[in-house]
Amino acid sequence: MSVAVRRRSLVPAETGLRYGPVVLAAAIFALPIFWLLVTSLKRQSEYASALFPSALEWANYALAVELANFVHFATNSLILSTTYAVLAVFVSALVGYGFARHRAPGHNKLFVLVIATWMVPNLVLFVPQFVLFARLGLTDTYWPWILWGLSGSPFAIFLFRQFFATFPRELDDAAEVDGAGPLRIFLQIYLPNAGPAIAASAIFMFLWVWGDWLYPALLLRQDNATLAVRMANAYVDPHGNPLQTVTMAGVVLYVLPLIAFFAFAQRYIVRGIVTTGIKG
Amino acid sequence: MAGATHVLPRAWPRTTVWRRRGFRRAATFYLLISPWLLGFVLLGAVPLVGAFVMSFTNYDGLNLDYVRFVGTDNYARAFGDSDAQYALGRTLLLMAVVVPIGLALQLVLALMVNQPIRFSNVFRTIFYLPYVIPVVAAVWIWKIFVDPTGGLVNAVAGAVSQGANWHLLVEQPTAVLALLTIWGAAGGGMVVFLAGLQGIPAEYREAAMIDGAGRAQVTRYITLPLLTPVIFFNLVTGIIVTLQILVQPMLLSPGILGLNPGTVPPRDNYLYAVHAYIEIFTKQLFGYGSALLWLLFAVVLVLTLLLFKTSRRWVFYGVEP
Repeated sequence: MSVAVRRRSLVPAETGLRYGPVVLAAAIFALPIFWLLVTSLKRQSEYASALFPSALEWANYALAVELANFVHFATNSLILSTTYAVLAVFVSALVGYGFARHRAPGHNKLFVLVIATWMVPNLVLFVPQFVLFARLGLTDTYWPWILWGLSGSPFAIFLFRQFFATFPRELDDAAEVDGAGPLRIFLQIYLPNAGPAIAASAIFMFLWVWGDWLYPALLLRQDNATLAVRMANAYVDPHGNPLQTVTMAGVVLYVLPLIAFFAFAQRYIVRGIVTTGIKG
Repeated sequence: MAGATHVLPRAWPRTTVWRRRGFRRAATFYLLISPWLLGFVLLGAVPLVGAFVMSFTNYDGLNLDYVRFVGTDNYARAFGDSDAQYALGRTLLLMAVVVPIGLALQLVLALMVNQPIRFSNVFRTIFYLPYVIPVVAAVWIWKIFVDPTGGLVNAVAGAVSQGANWHLLVEQPTAVLALLTIWGAAGGGMVVFLAGLQGIPAEYREAAMIDGAGRAQVTRYITLPLLTPVIFFNLVTGIIVTLQILVQPMLLSPGILGLNPGTVPPRDNYLYAVHAYIEIFTKQLFGYGSALLWLLFAVVLVLTLLLFKTSRRWVFYGVEP
């Protein structure tokens, strides 16, 4: 009773309290991105002089594609990200299924090892890997990403293990009675029912390669690297002067696929994180 | 098959079948995890052992003929390296600023979007967006945002106080780096907090409200204690990630032309991982750089263990949802 009464009498203040801070925070968060869009639509001549563009200069986007061999680098990024994501998701699902449903001596210790590899600083691991890849002549090739993909990702293995652990065991028993082996059970029962976990991990795996600058910058030749490496350098005019507006248009084009991807799969992300049971 | 077993004497097949089944089960498990295990050995264990050995040598990344063991020289040198000490100081300072502020912000954002408000999905997406934006793009966004000629920050500053012309990337590079880091990480932490909040049964809050607790009290005495495992998780990951920050300060060097892998960031943003990177990839001191990285790992490990020790006092694992 008293709760209901209080709620009704406080409606306007309550609304302000609820929406005021969140709207303000959202505005602050969006401001740098808004400025990226504004800058990408200015004419270069008004970059320093005008706060807002006098007319929307869509030509910047055409220039961004034209001037930087954009399609070439974007294709590299797409191939590399997709290859890694497909391999890493499939392998991680298989390994996660192994950890979730099969027991053997050493099972728990190995799972601790999966988690522990998460803690090792990236660079500690990458420097000797870099030496190894260089010694094997695998720099300037996509092999490092294929090998990383083939060995799965600790994060995704953990995610799939947690996800598969919730599946009813009766499914396995029924399939076993029908004579299905573990691989068939995985391919025909577990994998087809792992939609949310596949979506969440695939997005993160794809994003990791698409967004990574360090590894392609060190492992690939400048002219055959990914879009991230290309976009780290500004666009310039023939005299070497920076073209900030075109650069920002290029940045928008570089980020756009990811945003589309996330808008599509947004709901899987929270669910995927809930699944890992991080909440304790 | 079943018929054949039936005919055999009893004691025999039982044990072999049992043994064979145990073996097969173990083999199945190891076969299933073999891709990871193989990768872990070849791309994890072997390189890590190699890196550890490397840290006791003078390896230059190129020629194996000149490699020799230098004992603990690299580590002794690291402790006397004033650049390394300075860089570690800057890194710890950045961590002391970014981790607490970032954590508080993530929690507040999660509490805000967890309310029954309209467009909560839109708000969630806006807060999450920077987390998805790749580092190269995020750095450009902030460079252009604080740019002295075409940046919004400077335009506003100029309008508010006449003639103000900030060059933040030169004058306050660490402030820009901190803002970029907090802004970029907020969404990831927020989602984890959100998952934690949604794991708290609504009955607890309702029960407290029926007992007369206000919203602030419910947050303080019900929500926060139940959220401590998530706070702990975000704190640990925040510290691990912040201590390793490398790419942001390198890309965030002033000037508009971007960078090449050899760029040195301004002195204020000369972080520990940057120092190690430059020693390794610019100066080709793979041995010494590896020693620097192992020391970083040691710092990460010690801090994490300390946190786990204190966690018994304040992390509350009592309730099964």
